[in-house]
Amino acid sequence: MSALVSIFTVWLRHFAVFRKNIVYGMITTFVEPLLYLFSFGFGLGSVIGTIQVGNDHLSYRAFVLAGLVGQAVLFTSFFDGAYGGFVRMYYQRIFQAISVTPITLSEVLWGELLWCASRGVLSAATVLLMGFLIGDFSAWGCVVALPVIFLVSFFFASVGMLVAASSQTIESISYPQYLAIFPMFLFCGVYFPLAQLPQWAQGIAAFLPLTALLSVVRFLLLGFEWEWWSLPILLFWFVLFVPWARSAMRKRMVN
Amino acid sequence: MVEKMPSALVIADLKKVYHAKGHAPLTAVNGVSLEVRAGECFGLLGPNGAGKSTIMKCATGFYDPTAGRVEIEGVNVHREPKRARQVLGVCSQDDTLDTDFTVFDQMVQFASFFGIRRIEAEHRSRELLERFGLSGKSDELVEALSGGMRRRLQVARALMNRPRLLVLDEPTTGLDPEARRTLWEILVEQRAGGLAILLSTHYMEEAERLCDRVAIIHQGKILACDSPEQLILSEMGSQLIEEEVRTGVRIQRPPHLEDVYLKLTGAPLSQLEARRSQ
Repeated sequence: MSALVSIFTVWLRHFAVFRKNIVYGMITTFVEPLLYLFSFGFGLGSVIGTIQVGNDHLSYRAFVLAGLVGQAVLFTSFFDGAYGGFVRMYYQRIFQAISVTPITLSEVLWGELLWCASRGVLSAATVLLMGFLIGDFSAWGCVVALPVIFLVSFFFASVGMLVAASSQTIESISYPQYLAIFPMFLFCGVYFPLAQLPQWAQGIAAFLPLTALLSVVRFLLLGFEWEWWSLPILLFWFVLFVPWARSAMRKRMVN
Repeated sequence: MVEKMPSALVIADLKKVYHAKGHAPLTAVNGVSLEVRAGECFGLLGPNGAGKSTIMKCATGFYDPTAGRVEIEGVNVHREPKRARQVLGVCSQDDTLDTDFTVFDQMVQFASFFGIRRIEAEHRSRELLERFGLSGKSDELVEALSGGMRRRLQVARALMNRPRLLVLDEPTTGLDPEARRTLWEILVEQRAGGLAILLSTHYMEEAERLCDRVAIIHQGKILACDSPEQLILSEMGSQLIEEEVRTGVRIQRPPHLEDVYLKLTGAPLSQLEARRSQ
């Protein structure tokens, strides 16, 4: 069995579980972005109306909907990587069980990241579809955004894996969740343009991966100005975290 | 010219040292060598912390050894894990059953990790579940099974790929006597088909019943290795041993494997474990 087939086999195992609980899977995938869309997009959006970002004028609904793409990627990939990964590694010992078959631990971990990234992409694709159907996003923008979304989902999945590997109990996953993930979600421009933040906070936020993702996504979906530095920032985080997370989980498993 | 079949398992000069921040390095296995031939059951005996599970995990390729070599049917498990593990079945000490699946689906799912086609996997699953007395539970989730059933399922799952080497880490711990005997019968049956078994156990009776040879492990080293009968004879002789089984009740009995263990390690298992926990 080649490495690619092995990785895909691990992915299929996770997909089989997802398919078994398809109602739960679809509700958690579709309902959350729909609720945000109705609350912030249609609700708050109708109060705010149109906003100006740089030289662009657009509806707040379109602005926030593009932000929800980033939120879907962040939450779905991270939570599946962290909580789902912890359960699979610690309680179910699935990594251990598979790693003594012809599928190696390294392949198990790639399969795990690939699965969590796939969940992130599915979640984000749901928001993209909504945006397209209500006429806020262009079709080509949605298609071109998908590879970038996959890359960033993979990165957030690896953050989740790193957190799972470093946590002694499932409760301790809450620390990075509340101290890193939620602040990133709240201050990287999902709900308001970064220019509204104090200058020093803008400087910090600009370097964070969610900001970079939102910059690329809004460029592709809404025609915002292209900020070239977003891609190197995303690549930097990707190259830093993916090997780190895999190495940490490997250490956790074999020591 | 007849080509010599490689041994099912060869472990040569295995050493494993654990390193943890803030702790001195811990040598769990220190120069262990052993060989398990096709159709042979080889037992590892020793208290918790003796190094049995570490040897098992190195033997399956899950842990990298600090030094030494492990070969399954002549294939180095650390260099070529995919090829070596194609003929390996593992039932670890921990419950690693996949709680997301029913009993039957879990077997089929596990077969996919060996690249076994679905039709063949379903057939093999039915066959194994029948043999292990679990066919009535096929559609149940693992959570609905008793401890004994879960253990049997884990062993059944380990046989999914028709392994030629089966690694069993304390497979009967927590099983009632009947379940234990059922499992013994199945293992004896599998051995008759040429399956080699590396078994770790706390139960001396189990080792005496199942193993052709046993190695007594203590502090990461093999203290003695031979057939149970030969170990008993060479270490204890054939004289009856007098023992006080209850206060005031003395009996004479033939020596058994635990006596060998006590003689070699200088302390009963319970004392050794108490010392370790202090």
